[in-house]
Amino acid sequence: MISLVTRPTLTGASRSGAALLIRGIKTIPQPPGYIVGTVNDAYVPPKPHKAEGSYHWTSERIAAFALAPLTLAPLVGGTSTILDSTLSTILLYHCYTGFQSCITDYIPKRVYGSYHNYANYLLIFGTGVAGYGLYKIETSEDGGVTGIIKKTWNA
Amino acid sequence: MARLSGMQREVLKLYRGCIRIIRTKPIENQEHWRQFVREEFRKNQHISKKQFNVIEHLIRVGHKRFEQYSSPQIKDIH
Amino acid sequence: MFRSILRQTRALNGFTNGSRSLATAAASKPAPRLKTFKIYRWNPDTPEVEPKMQSYDIDLNECGPMVLDAILKIKNEQDATLTFRRSCREGICGSCAMNIGGRNTLACLCRIETDTSKETKIYPLPHMFVVRDLVPDLTHFYKQYKSIQPYLQRDTHPADGRENLQSIEDRAKLDGLYECILCACCSTSCPSYWWNQQEYLGPAVLMQAYRWLIDSRDQASGIRKEMLQNSMSLYRCHTIMNCARTCPKGLNPGRAIAEIKKQLAFD
Repeated sequence: MISLVTRPTLTGASRSGAALLIRGIKTIPQPPGYIVGTVNDAYVPPKPHKAEGSYHWTSERIAAFALAPLTLAPLVGGTSTILDSTLSTILLYHCYTGFQSCITDYIPKRVYGSYHNYANYLLIFGTGVAGYGLYKIETSEDGGVTGIIKKTWNA
Repeated sequence: MARLSGMQREVLKLYRGCIRIIRTKPIENQEHWRQFVREEFRKNQHISKKQFNVIEHLIRVGHKRFEQYSSPQIKDIH
Repeated sequence: MFRSILRQTRALNGFTNGSRSLATAAASKPAPRLKTFKIYRWNPDTPEVEPKMQSYDIDLNECGPMVLDAILKIKNEQDATLTFRRSCREGICGSCAMNIGGRNTLACLCRIETDTSKETKIYPLPHMFVVRDLVPDLTHFYKQYKSIQPYLQRDTHPADGRENLQSIEDRAKLDGLYECILCACCSTSCPSYWWNQQEYLGPAVLMQAYRWLIDSRDQASGIRKEMLQNSMSLYRCHTIMNCARTCPKGLNPGRAIAEIKKQLAFD
């Protein structure tokens, strides 16, 4: 899916594939000393975008806080389909935002350009697969995700 | 001409910028400036292509000095 | 009197297998307590020479208690080419920020570890461009500081045309924030700042952003908050808390950032 342009190097044969893959990723050159404009200009932040800013952060926190009681609920009460599906959705969202944070940290658009988008697409794809997996668990396993938690707790 | 690496292009860009800015200086001093820019670049010509961090540092310093010298108050250089 | 006796006994202990007799050592000078400092050296005039660690031996008996005293002694007596920033020698200017023994701190506030068997390593602030030896390039840091508009902004002015008054409680909110001297110790200890320093503002600057946000006299909090509403400027903080750990002034930038996040969440 991701086409990587690998530079032919003299020592290429002796290098491992992974190293070649990493070398092949072209990064965007950064301004010297990270200085954009003159030294006396103020740094210009990215455009304000609430969905990427506070809304994103708040939703992350809500998901994280909601997970705790939802995980404990089946231990106290019984399992139910509604409880189960909310838990799995929030779990999925929690994982998604977590990995998304990693991508913004380590594959920033500023340096990697379109690779940042590819990584995000890959994450969405992965989340889709995980969602399908959760659906499978819900339909086939006895008790769904909460059932599994209960079992591990008992085991 | 062979394809230039990103850093080579950076250096050329800086050099071009330096040469361009000379035109804003008083006409009688432009030759001084041209000499100065050439000398400064020639000084580091011996540095190997593989010494990335050295070249990066020189580019950083170059940009700072470029900014300093491009001020219209500075008219001549020796 | 008492102290001189103490020093002499210490000298005696230090001199067990020396060639000098114990009596003369005790009578004249206390034995030198030689401590090795390893200092990062790099000269921009010869950029092709790799940076190296240079060792200097200092007699702690003839040196002040702080690391800055030791570095100044080295510069005065051993190697005048050693370059570093310093000014006030009492932790109020923030010039002498450097990485001492693996920790970002001010050289003037950091005691020399008296264990002479261990060497002390001194580096410039991590993940900054080095100008020379222990001098980092803080241009981008200052540009970021400038971007948060660190000054009072008001649309209205007091009727009597005099100063903008503030209640004691409002003033108390600024305690623990205004003391920051912008030494950049916290920012350069933050892993998030290492990876994304071009866009993430870093703890020092964000703490100042908060200082102006909660100032009761300031009326520009709308613009100030707006500026932080993106994924990079503020939200790259992952509460690693290295900032609070390293701060030589004992401030807590991590808390300030959390408070900004809270304010933005209820904005």
